[in-house]
Amino acid sequence: MTDHVARLYLAAGSLLGFFVAWAGIAAHPWSTPPARIDPSAQALARYEQRLQQDAAVVRRLRADQGARASVPRVRVVTLPPLTTTRTS
Amino acid sequence: MLRRSFAAMGTEVELFLDADESAASLLDDGERELRRLEDLLSRFRPDSELSRLNRAGALRVGPELLELARLSLEARACTAGRFDPTVHDALAAAGYDRSFELLEEDRPGAPRGGAPCGGGITVDAATSTVALEHGFRLDLGGIAKGWAVDRVLSLLREGGPSLVNAGGDVAAAGRPWPVGVETPAASITLELDGGALATSGRDRRTWRRGGREHHHLVDPSTGLPAAGDLLRVTAAAPTAADAEVLAKALFLAGDAGRAAAEADEGGVPAVLVSCDGTTTLAGGLG
Repeated sequence: MTDHVARLYLAAGSLLGFFVAWAGIAAHPWSTPPARIDPSAQALARYEQRLQQDAAVVRRLRADQGARASVPRVRVVTLPPLTTTRTS
Repeated sequence: MLRRSFAAMGTEVELFLDADESAASLLDDGERELRRLEDLLSRFRPDSELSRLNRAGALRVGPELLELARLSLEARACTAGRFDPTVHDALAAAGYDRSFELLEEDRPGAPRGGAPCGGGITVDAATSTVALEHGFRLDLGGIAKGWAVDRVLSLLREGGPSLVNAGGDVAAAGRPWPVGVETPAASITLELDGGALATSGRDRRTWRRGGREHHHLVDPSTGLPAAGDLLRVTAAAPTAADAEVLAKALFLAGDAGRAAAEADEGGVPAVLVSCDGTTTLAGGLG
């Protein structure tokens, strides 16, 4: 093998080594892959959140029991009404 | 003032909350609660808990339907049967057999005759079970709406003075609120300081069958839409559920004179509008 051919092999090998190293670095082997989101887990989380909201509503309703006035105070006034009661 | 309007329970709903924007989430809670109760208690939704009870005849139910069944029984006893939750089949026989928006303008043929009312209801709190007498089904329409209004008000009032109006069932808390009552001559304004108002009448929710007009207020003693000279009654009570029952009971008194006497005797503030256009204030309003 002549020096000329040896240099050619050396250059080709260097180029190949460079691209292999480049591909390796570009793949970010040190970063962890993104976690796969399980749709059923998401749905479960939403359901749990809804249950917590409902539970909070029930707690507040229970706390309010008995707080209402027992006798309504109603009288005729000459103010413009904010809303109207009508046949439903 | 925070305000929200939306359609639910077959009617227009208004929520008022005298508070700043930081309390706006309470309106979300109120709307969500009303829709949740509609899902549970509508007789027009085949998958509602009420419809499942009506199909099964007996059912282990949730706390809401259990409580409403109990309240309905109490209301029937207190009104000597004028309020009756077992008018379901009588309403259907009169033509009100689907959600009101879906009733056609007119349909040929007269409606079937009245259906029996006053069916047996057994409420067993220990087992959370409601059982219906064979051949009867529940319609909680008005009292369920009133009860839902009371529940939504309980949520809103945490944020400040508040008012809930669901198609005429009005409950208020925190301060006096001016509420209009329609009369043939002009609108009367009632100042409601706590408690509730409800209106029952034959001037809306009417339909035609065979060219004749029918309405949704069934007289349980006949199983037919009530006759009489009253057009509509507005009554006040501590809760909207109670006001609904009282308005219906006074309407079924038949005429303004008798209804006014009953309102006076019971101390029920009431506005009575007759078909001839006269308006009577009773129960201390006059």
